[in-house]
Amino acid sequence: MSIEVPVKTAGMTQPDSAIAPKEAPHPVAMQVKGLNFYYGTSHALHDISLDFPERSVTGMIGPSGCGKSTLLRVLNRMYDLYPGQRATGEVIFDKQNILHSGVDLNVLRSRIGMVFQKPTPFPMSIYDNIAFGIRLHERVSRSEMDGRVEDALRRVALWSEVQDRLSASATALSGGQQQRLCIARTIAVRPEVILLDEPTSALDPVSTARIEELLDELKTEFTIAIVTHNMQQAARCADQVAFFYMGRLIEVDSTARMFTTPREQQTQDYITGRFG
Amino acid sequence: MEIPARQSLPAMKQAPSQQGRQKGDPAFRLLVTATGVGVLVVLGAIIAVMVSGGWKAFATFGPGFLVSAVWNPVTQHFGAAAPVFGTVISSALALLVAVPLAFGTAFWLTALAPPSAAAVIGMAVQLLAAVPSIIFGMWGFFVVVPVVAHYVQPAARQFLGHVPGLSALVAGAPFGTGLFTAALILAVMITPSITAVMRDVFLSMPTVLRESGYGLGATRWEVMRYVVLPWSRQGVVGGIVLGMGRAMGETMAVTFVIGDSNHIGWSLFAPANTIASLIALEFPESPAGSLKLASLMALGAILMAISFVTLWFSRWLLARGEQAAGR
Repeated sequence: MSIEVPVKTAGMTQPDSAIAPKEAPHPVAMQVKGLNFYYGTSHALHDISLDFPERSVTGMIGPSGCGKSTLLRVLNRMYDLYPGQRATGEVIFDKQNILHSGVDLNVLRSRIGMVFQKPTPFPMSIYDNIAFGIRLHERVSRSEMDGRVEDALRRVALWSEVQDRLSASATALSGGQQQRLCIARTIAVRPEVILLDEPTSALDPVSTARIEELLDELKTEFTIAIVTHNMQQAARCADQVAFFYMGRLIEVDSTARMFTTPREQQTQDYITGRFG
Repeated sequence: MEIPARQSLPAMKQAPSQQGRQKGDPAFRLLVTATGVGVLVVLGAIIAVMVSGGWKAFATFGPGFLVSAVWNPVTQHFGAAAPVFGTVISSALALLVAVPLAFGTAFWLTALAPPSAAAVIGMAVQLLAAVPSIIFGMWGFFVVVPVVAHYVQPAARQFLGHVPGLSALVAGAPFGTGLFTAALILAVMITPSITAVMRDVFLSMPTVLRESGYGLGATRWEVMRYVVLPWSRQGVVGGIVLGMGRAMGETMAVTFVIGDSNHIGWSLFAPANTIASLIALEFPESPAGSLKLASLMALGAILMAISFVTLWFSRWLLARGEQAAGR
């Protein structure tokens, strides 16, 4: 059984123009070079090299356990919380190897934000959820904070829904609203990169569509890496797609090429639904 | 899909056992309802016995029973103030020491300790929580009391003895027994159980919520303070109340080290008494029907009342906190 994968360039008649880059390639925001990752003795990522172009969306797909989420957790050193997990190789961000032990993780994570599979509002008010991250890194006046909170909520299209109940608990919001709040919380810190780990897997189709629209706007400003199980989502949102299998990066290419003329048989099999 | 009528016959054959299941359900329901109601009955019965047993004391001394610090079997004059004071102060001091210790240990165990150490020390905490109180009493009497008498109180007097306002706290002969020693023993006893509860609450928090905090660039302390603690507030307060209940009701260990003196004073090192210790010490010498026995029962009722008020107060605090958080 093969599935119809809608691609951003659908409707273009010329196959060549569909795969040609529309504009000059973006400079690289983050560069993974020869990365290996281990959970204790288990070798989870094998020699990954991958570039994340600035202000564009990189989709990471592959069957469960292929290492795509693991790679995401390397990019902001989240794995560092857990003893026994370690990475070798290089991840270059702002001319610096972030795997280096001297890196200030709190600063790093303020520059590389993360959104999780399930909405994770903190047990505090909507306002404080947004203000929390800002307060960690900056000293701002009350009025400036109000502005920052409003701005963040507006950018995720949540402002009109919550503006008159900012002091209400964030846990009372719907799942889709909570996830948008979490994205607002992340961008309020003004990161350069946003990592999203299957951000819509717990959401209904309408909420999912809103998040996807949001990604399209956010990429004008942020570099985005999104892990997804949903191939249509990768096709809709991503500019380039990386396919992982068994801890290896099988193929990475522009979304159009990936879903129309993948080079590897494994990629072909996965995106057409033959396995995974 | 249509099922031919004949095929439903085997299903019919199973009906008797189905019926058995249907019967079992109400029986089980009755059983668990009975245990549930039983809790209420037992609680009511205990309150009734304590209040009726102590009625004679309340009737004889009136409200003065609560404020009088006299406990004199010779003149048949009894008051609850001294043991109530001792109970509340020793428990409060114990909490003052135990809560920060328990919080720190639980924080370390859940956020900082290497897994192997966390497993071993987590186990040790649970074992410590299971040590019988008589052991703590003996340890307190043979180890802590001499140390307090020979080193702690003299040192405290040297440092605080000349500070106006504080000198009263360290006054008195160095017996080694008293409020300070009792509070210390109590703190050691309740720290493990508070730690165990806090650790479990912290661990029950979804990992992603914690990681969201780290993902924003928060430090371990910030994640603890602003994410984990608010999330687990209910459980943390529950653990503290549990420890407080244990401290107020603790009898054996305290009896060893409190000094058995019905006296209210400023000194932390002066012998004192708690409700539970006084009851344990005097009960054998109180004949049935005596005013002394009634006074002891009345003290028991007061101890229960203090526990209930504490519990209710913590619930109220929590509810107010939830309201403030907009829940």
